[in-house]
This record gives sequence, structure tokens and C-alpha cells, in this order.
Amino acid sequence: MNAKETGAALLFDGRADDDPTLALIHEALVDGLAAGGWAVDDWRLRDEKIAWCSGCFGCWVKTPGVCVHEDAGRDVAARAARSDLFIYLTPVTFGGYAAELKKALDHVIPILQPDLKKTGADTRHPQRYERNHDLLAVGTVPAGLGSGAEARTFRRLVQRNSLNLQPLRCTAGVLERDSGEWEVRVAVNAWLAEVGVVPAVAPPSLEMQEAGA
Amino acid sequence: MKTPQRALLLVGSPKSGASASSSLGTYLLEELEKRGLQTETVGLVKALRAEEATEALHTAVAAADLVVLSFPLYVDSLPAPVIRALELIAARRADLPAAAGDKPAFVAICQCGFPEAEHNEVALEICRNFAAAAGFAWAGGLGMGAGGMTGGRPLREIRGRMRAAVGALDLSAAELAAGRPLPDEAVRLMAKPAFPAFAYRLIANRGWRSDLKKQGATAPLDARPFA
Repeated sequence: MNAKETGAALLFDGRADDDPTLALIHEALVDGLAAGGWAVDDWRLRDEKIAWCSGCFGCWVKTPGVCVHEDAGRDVAARAARSDLFIYLTPVTFGGYAAELKKALDHVIPILQPDLKKTGADTRHPQRYERNHDLLAVGTVPAGLGSGAEARTFRRLVQRNSLNLQPLRCTAGVLERDSGEWEVRVAVNAWLAEVGVVPAVAPPSLEMQEAGA
Repeated sequence: MKTPQRALLLVGSPKSGASASSSLGTYLLEELEKRGLQTETVGLVKALRAEEATEALHTAVAAADLVVLSFPLYVDSLPAPVIRALELIAARRADLPAAAGDKPAFVAICQCGFPEAEHNEVALEICRNFAAAAGFAWAGGLGMGAGGMTGGRPLREIRGRMRAAVGALDLSAAELAAGRPLPDEAVRLMAKPAFPAFAYRLIANRGWRSDLKKQGATAPLDARPFA
């Protein structure tokens, strides 16, 4: 797949602790985006106080497009509206996103309109903005469970999200928590290529492979 | 699954007042109570507000042999506070020595604002994974579309409109009380639309415009404040 010229990526960093594999993935994502000439809004969510979305729908019928609560949750829609690519980084939690990431994602609904429209076989909400958002979600699972039930559910969830966000490109990546640096970089570069950030390239050199082993 | 003696309802709605999650879960709990089970209800958002309340949640979970989680669909998944509560429960149970005998049962009810119940499938799969991770026996999940139609009112007050849901919960209560998982018929009934999808969309879309006026909003529904 060809790379886009450049764009703005919003990286929802949903790490709750210092998982070394997620740290490697984060580093590889930031490096890959920079190599592709992309601007990165690298948002470390654990440093943010974001109230749980209360489901009041004020962001649809009181202040359309803006969360009624005055905290960092309001920034989710503002930052998302200015981004071409959403990147979710999370430990896979029962097959879904960890609460640290989800506390922000629950506030993404102001970028949708409230109306219900039939889209294909299902009902969905129309996008509020014309700007298209591609989606890359990356999660980690315990070693040996890369093909397990939680990894499968995670991929289904991302695919489901893509039906609502309607991205042109969407990729879900799962890595096991004992993955080495070389493995992480190869995987992340491949995923970034799938969402058009970088051109698809051959795996890193043997030297890199040895360095990461 | 063993025959349960004590059922715990975990209400996952982040709303502070009445909610569809509470309506559905409470009805099931009342039906279980009629069949002789002791019951207890914990609101998850409240349980996360203070350490003491979180401890009370852990105590309630440990005492139950049937746990029912009722929650609204949020962005194809569970609301963040519900995920947080499940993370805490799983972590606590991982620290406990493995209990002898049958595992406690875990059931989930998920309802969404879309008319199609299929939107809930992935969220229920997440609940099933949680049950496996936290040492519960998965007893099944019920997914419902157009959950907002309950208006957060007790199901007994609106039985006619919620006929299928009531039927699903009656069947579920009978089976769960007997120590059996949810029957397929309950899953089918709960997913049965209470209203044709096109009519639901029409009414909902009128409702948004009416709410916009009531709230005195100065911007239109399709405003683009961050364009």
C-alpha cells in the first residue's frame, strides 16, 4: 500500500504501567510516524484526569460536538477532529481496551452526530466532520497467547470500531509481551504501512535483528 | 454450574439515576429472588469512588455464586468504569487461592441504543473472556437493541412494550436458579426488536431534535466546533 504524503496522528497511549513491550511498541510507533513525516500528538492518558463518560448525551443535544464536562475528556473530540489517524495503544484486557485507554475513547462520540442512519445492514451514527480518520489499534497479550481468545476478540472489536468510525484503512495488531525489539519494529512498521504512514518495506537488516535478539 | 444461593447484580451504567441497565438487571434479580435466592445490587461507578466501596464490591463478589453484570454498550465495548471494575475483580481473584468445587457463575446483559442487538456481540465476548480470566463459569450473555426504550423504568411497569425482554429474563431466571446456563431461547427473545428498526430510527431522530430545543442549545445538531 502506498504511504500518504503526511498527516497528523493522535496516539492514545493507554499504558497503565511500565510494560516493556508496550514501551517498545510506543517507541517504534513514534519513530515510524516521524520517519513518515507525520506530526504526532502523543497523548499519555494515565497522566490525565478524565471523568467517566456519564452517557448524558449533552455532547449531542446541549453543546453539539463538545463534551459538557470541563476536563481533559473534552479534548478527546477536539484532538480527534484534527487528526487523520487514530492509534490506540493498550494491554489487551479480556479482549478489549484497558480502562486507561477506554476512559478517553468513551469521549469520542462527539465526533459523531446523534442521528441514526441505516448503513449497510446496521444502524450507525454519521460522522460530524468530513476529515477521514484511519485507525490502528495495537495491543499486547501474555506470552504464548498471540492466537488466543482475547487476541481474536481484540481484532473483532477493532473491526467493529472501524464500522462506526468508517476509516479508509484499519488495522489491529497484537504482540505477545515477551516480544523482542526486532519483532516489535518489524510488526509496527508493517502496521504503519497498512494505514499508509510509511511505504511497505522489507524487514530490518540482520544487524538490527541481532541487536534486538 | 452449581445451583446458586446468592446472586449479585453489578449495574454498569455510568448514569447516576435510573438506567436501562438497572431496569433489566433488577427485573432478573427480582425473578431470582422469587425463586429463593438471596440478592444484592452494587453500582460499579459508585464502587470505584472510594477504597471502602471498592472493598465492599470485592466482598460482595466473593460472597456470590451467581454474578449478573448489566451494562450499556459504549463504543462497541463496555464503559470504562465497568472495565476498570472488572480489572480490579480479576486482579483480586488472581490473588486468591483456587476455591474447591464449582466456580461461581457469571452472566452479562448488554443493551445498546441502536435498534439491532448484534452490536452487543463483541462486548459480550469480552465478558466471556473476563469470566474465564477471573475464574467464573460463563453462563451466557443477553444482548438487546433499542435499550433506551425502557426509559430506565421498572420493566414491570412497561411489560407490553418490553414483552420479549421480559420473556427472556423470565426464562433466564428459571434456568439460572436451577444452576443451568442461559437458554438459547432467552438469547433469541432478548435480541428480538421491540419495534421495527426504521420506525425506531425515525422516532429517535425526532427525539434528538426535540431534546436540542429543550436544552436550549445554540448550535445545530451537526455543528462542527473543532473544524
